[in-house]
Amino acid sequence: MTLGLREILNKHNSLISGTAACPGCPENMAMRMLGMGLGKDTVVVVVAGCSSIIQGNAPYNSFNLPVVNIAFAAGSAAASGLARAYKQKGKDVNVVVWAGDGGTADIGFASLSGAAERNEDIIYVCVDNEAYMNSGGQRSGSTPLGAITSTTPEGKKENKKNLPFLMVSHNAPYVATASVGYPHDYIQKLKRAKEIDGFRYIHVLTPDPYGWLFDPSRTAEIAKLAVQTCYWPLFEYYNGKITVSQECLHCLDKRTRRPIKDFLSVQGRFKRVKEEDITKLEKYIDDMWEKIKELM
Amino acid sequence: MIRKIISGNEAVATAVKLARVGLTGIYPITPQTSIIEKLAEMKAQGEIQTEIVRVESEHSAMAATYGAALAGIRAFTATASQGLLYMHEMVWWVAGSRVPVVMVVGTRAVGAPWNIWNEHTDFTSERDSGWIMAFASNPQEALDLTIQAFRISEDERVFLPVMVGMDGFILSHTKTNVLIPDQEQIDDYLPPRRQPYVIDPEDPVEIGNMFPPEGYMKLRESIHLALKNSEDIIRQHGREYNKKVSPMIDYSTLNSSYRLEDADYAVVLMGAWAGDAMEAIDVLREKGIKIGMLRVRYLRPWSEKEIKENLEGKKGVLVVDRSTSFGRGGPLYIEVKSTIQDTEVKDIVTGLGGVTVGKNDMIYLFSKFVEGIKEDVTWYYPKEVGKLDIRTPRDIE
Repeated sequence: MTLGLREILNKHNSLISGTAACPGCPENMAMRMLGMGLGKDTVVVVVAGCSSIIQGNAPYNSFNLPVVNIAFAAGSAAASGLARAYKQKGKDVNVVVWAGDGGTADIGFASLSGAAERNEDIIYVCVDNEAYMNSGGQRSGSTPLGAITSTTPEGKKENKKNLPFLMVSHNAPYVATASVGYPHDYIQKLKRAKEIDGFRYIHVLTPDPYGWLFDPSRTAEIAKLAVQTCYWPLFEYYNGKITVSQECLHCLDKRTRRPIKDFLSVQGRFKRVKEEDITKLEKYIDDMWEKIKELM
Repeated sequence: MIRKIISGNEAVATAVKLARVGLTGIYPITPQTSIIEKLAEMKAQGEIQTEIVRVESEHSAMAATYGAALAGIRAFTATASQGLLYMHEMVWWVAGSRVPVVMVVGTRAVGAPWNIWNEHTDFTSERDSGWIMAFASNPQEALDLTIQAFRISEDERVFLPVMVGMDGFILSHTKTNVLIPDQEQIDDYLPPRRQPYVIDPEDPVEIGNMFPPEGYMKLRESIHLALKNSEDIIRQHGREYNKKVSPMIDYSTLNSSYRLEDADYAVVLMGAWAGDAMEAIDVLREKGIKIGMLRVRYLRPWSEKEIKENLEGKKGVLVVDRSTSFGRGGPLYIEVKSTIQDTEVKDIVTGLGGVTVGKNDMIYLFSKFVEGIKEDVTWYYPKEVGKLDIRTPRDIE
């Protein structure tokens, strides 16, 4: 399935003008694409985070979809209630949880895990900017090793929690990773998720100019670099198998991977990264791709 | 209408069935657990259509219930103790959203240390959250108040969540005679669900997004006013319940009184031990002491009118609390004291964590009170408990 730009633009516009997002905001990009992928019959449960603010002040709202804003840890459970209520009413609605990495990897993980285990008929989208960016860039469970955050000024000592694999371990019918640098790939995954029943998990990399410390004009470029350097894989997991997107087929062989330094060097958050940390990051990437290959 | 010997928890499950609840978020916690077990059993046997979400925490139980309520179906959950505290965040979230939801709390002590027995502290600690809060004194009331809770919660003049408290074990697990209304009676009493807004792609609205300070404060005031104004609405639905469903218990008032009209002294309390208090009052009356009781059935809204009418002009009022506001006294006492000015009010905190306070204790306490022992806060231990000596951090100093 391939999509032309014209076809995408005809889809539901889930983001209208006047958002309160920072310039170069990747979550804005991801939200616009959400409507392109899922269309109009969608309800979004927004978990505390940047997206709670991006909508703008009530009574106005720049998300052109019904939105339920909710406390940090409650997204997956509230979505479960919504989805079951729609089913009872005989309505076909895509119920989407829209959460950041903090709401997913840390405080919201129990309810995410519960909903995945119960195989609730919802789509969980994690917009991962790799720290608590809404409160000023504190470390989350999804922050990569070596990154400077406001609570790890010396650089984070531990690797990123690998949420997509955790969701695969939950036997979720559909798990995918995406990057806002590759809209077609992300939108296609949303469309695929829409066709599948049960719990669907999509993890989107959303590089944040203010937390990652790069110029806001370069958001899409950095989102691409993450994929090109194989730091961020693009894959889909369904029917028990992983399929890797063509954008990162080169990552399957270590010899054809672009050096991780190309990704690290363009961001301020890695400015103090040590050689040994780069080695650890490389090992993290190697291990990740080994796991992906095992599941292919 | 049929009569059955059932526990408080079964009575609540029956109320949920009769109210045709669309979704129940369930998570086990003592002593509420048999409500959700009963519902799960009814579901398995096809007796109810209710969707049951077996979530992984109380926080999620309230969130799932909230989600279903937002999507436009009648939603229910039940909890107790640590569970209520764990869902505290969502309890506020639901009230702030003005979404009709009903919850039953099987009251229980709060740790540490662990204690599974009854007291009201979990319940009373939610009194600032914006929920309407009713408290039953027997399984029959637990059933009736739960059904009325849906009616009140979904009234367009209210649109607030309602919680119904019930003494853990004392009501939740004790079986008594309960009159179970017919489905037709309840269908006649409880109209199809109404709510202020439904989250649906057909009419996209947003809920819970960032509000500027003035707007936020206005919403806060709207909750305050809705709660205050719900007083008359509760009476109205109570009268209707008496007319359409059962006249057995008088629901035309928010609080219930016993031998109070000609009484010189009044006792105020809440919950199951009202039965013991009534027996104690009968004994004292025989001795010539004119004493009566006011049982608080609604902690929120707090009916200043009824409290004043019933208590002002008495020689003395004794409030018996089964919960605490540490360093201050009992929550009921604080409420009563702030409502009536010209009458002496005294507080007793007792029965915490399952300490049994029976008829004889009540006789002792009430007569001491009438004799005129003046202390603002008294922690009362029944005789055998009073002898117990444990080391507290203070002893270590």
